[in-house]
Amino acid sequence: MPWKYIAGRLTMFVVTIWMASTIVFFLPRLSGQNPLAERIYQEAQQGGYQDPDVAERVRVFEAKYGFDKPLWEQYVKFVVDVVQFDLGRSIFQWPKSVNEILAEKIMWTLVMGLLTLVLAFFIGSAMGALLEWRRNNWGLMVAMAPILAISAVPFFIFGLVLQLIVFNIDREFPLVYGFKQGVIGWPDWSDWEFILSVVKHAIMPALSITLVSLGGWAMGMRGMMVTTKGEDYMVQAEAKGLPDRVMLTKYAIRNSLLPQVTGLTLALGLIVSGVVLVEIVFGYPGVGGQLLQAVRSNDYPTTQGIVFVLAFGTAAATLALDLLYPLLDPRIKSAGE
Amino acid sequence: MERAQASVVSPIWWRTLPDRSDFVRDRLVPIFRYLRRNRLMIIGLSAFAALGLFVGISYLFYSQVDLLGEEQGVNGLVRAASVQANQRPSWNPWSGYPLGTDVQGRDIYAAVVVGIPLSLRIGVIAAAIGVGVGMVLAFVAAYVGGVVDAVIRTVVDSLIPIPGLLVLVLVATSLNPGQGLTVDQLAFVIAVLAWPGPARVIRSQVLVIRERGYVEMARMSGTSPLGIIFKEMMPNLAPYALASFVAATSGSILASIGVESLGLGPLDSPTLGSMIYWNIFTSSVLLGLWYWLLPPIIVLIVLFVGLFMISAGLDEVANPRLRRRV
Repeated sequence: MPWKYIAGRLTMFVVTIWMASTIVFFLPRLSGQNPLAERIYQEAQQGGYQDPDVAERVRVFEAKYGFDKPLWEQYVKFVVDVVQFDLGRSIFQWPKSVNEILAEKIMWTLVMGLLTLVLAFFIGSAMGALLEWRRNNWGLMVAMAPILAISAVPFFIFGLVLQLIVFNIDREFPLVYGFKQGVIGWPDWSDWEFILSVVKHAIMPALSITLVSLGGWAMGMRGMMVTTKGEDYMVQAEAKGLPDRVMLTKYAIRNSLLPQVTGLTLALGLIVSGVVLVEIVFGYPGVGGQLLQAVRSNDYPTTQGIVFVLAFGTAAATLALDLLYPLLDPRIKSAGE
Repeated sequence: MERAQASVVSPIWWRTLPDRSDFVRDRLVPIFRYLRRNRLMIIGLSAFAALGLFVGISYLFYSQVDLLGEEQGVNGLVRAASVQANQRPSWNPWSGYPLGTDVQGRDIYAAVVVGIPLSLRIGVIAAAIGVGVGMVLAFVAAYVGGVVDAVIRTVVDSLIPIPGLLVLVLVATSLNPGQGLTVDQLAFVIAVLAWPGPARVIRSQVLVIRERGYVEMARMSGTSPLGIIFKEMMPNLAPYALASFVAATSGSILASIGVESLGLGPLDSPTLGSMIYWNIFTSSVLLGLWYWLLPPIIVLIVLFVGLFMISAGLDEVANPRLRRRV
């Protein structure tokens, strides 16, 4: 195994994490606002009674959050905490910790993201493979044209279009939220009715992400198939008289699919951004809506926590793909040795 | 063959002047002949031309009478003073508003016409900065090499997995909290993350082109490094730079729409993104205001698909292997 390659990827991962935590630490502080004091003053004014010790309370809370220390000390503490996934406490939803907030939401985002990614990756790749294999099939090309065209459109814009269409066909179909609202006792994962409702509500956002991403994978796969079709082993397979289907699945697709994984590593960041926006448009209970709320209420710890965790997840997935790739593709392994 | 003879016959001082007919025959005609085969590029360019015509003609000829009884062009119609306060959102092409009016009673047609150039402006500014910075970094990395190259490459590669939109959200909220950004500020914010992609693409191309025979030739004949960069390499990098510029424009518009849809952009300027934000904000789909949501979306789809096709067409120019066989 090429140790240099692994060391390089690991360094990259560490640098990414460090940059993400640095960006996340410094950017909110550029605004020169003091959300903690603002929040406490706001709270103190509620109910018409003016608390005489507000300034003292601000001081106590600033000490609690560590805002009274010099900047570099805060920075070091932040980076050290954050890499241990100690993301601090929310300001807006005090005393909830950011970890608690994330724990409620992250699974929704993770499942939605992974599900749509896998669906789009495999269906799109199959489409691209067929498109190149049956080169002059006009029916296929006509069917694929709209899918290729919408691949340039952002997920959430297409989501809005879907909402518009479905709303005018079936007014009862769930367009927003992650499950039916207003039922007492939900979310309750042991209730079959609840799970059915979750699945039904997931259809719209999942459809808008999957349909849009299909085109990209299809285009990538088609490009790979062009290269693969020119390889010597394809000529040999044809000369051996192998049936068309075997040549397509065992020879062409197998060899073209692997390089698509490289495209996956480049697309991950974009996909995460896209999923966050889709969640906001569909009122989905993932981290997207939470991020928006945190941004609107100047809740720095929560904003920082969400951005850091998403960046970490993307970087970790990229690292995993980079490390797995040589194992999946023997051609790379032998080239590295 | 013909041309060689012609230049032999012509007097010497002629050769120093650009010959117009030669330029047309040798440069423009092949470009058009090639374009005829590059269908993607043609479709993309015509989508743009159509949008440009739509905006231009509307700017020149479209006008409405506003509240105060004054005739207003598109720019006047999107200003707050032109709001028809007593008008409910409605769609009735025969009432004089071709695309209807929004919840504030604003003319949707005028808002779209003004929004297209504003959104494009954000994309172009951000992409120009991104490609410019990326190109400089790419040349520095490829030429200086060693530690500098390693640092630039590591930074670029490790920025790519960070979800851009999230960083942009952080930048946008911390730059101007509470008030939103102006159109140009938003463009600069987006430029912050527009450079790693172009830097990556162009650096690898610089490395390839630097080893080509004609660059070696120029180096041996004593051309200065800057001369090599600008006279030998730039012309051959142009299709790549242009392709990454178009891709960056599309990416920047995408990013701007994302930031704006979260309500962090210039909410008082009628960019396409802020129109979408107000649509999401008032949940116009559920109110049945489809005629308010559809125009910006259709324009955006045309814009994105057009840019995508131009960039795919440019890819074909840059990589002749992708070219369609005749």
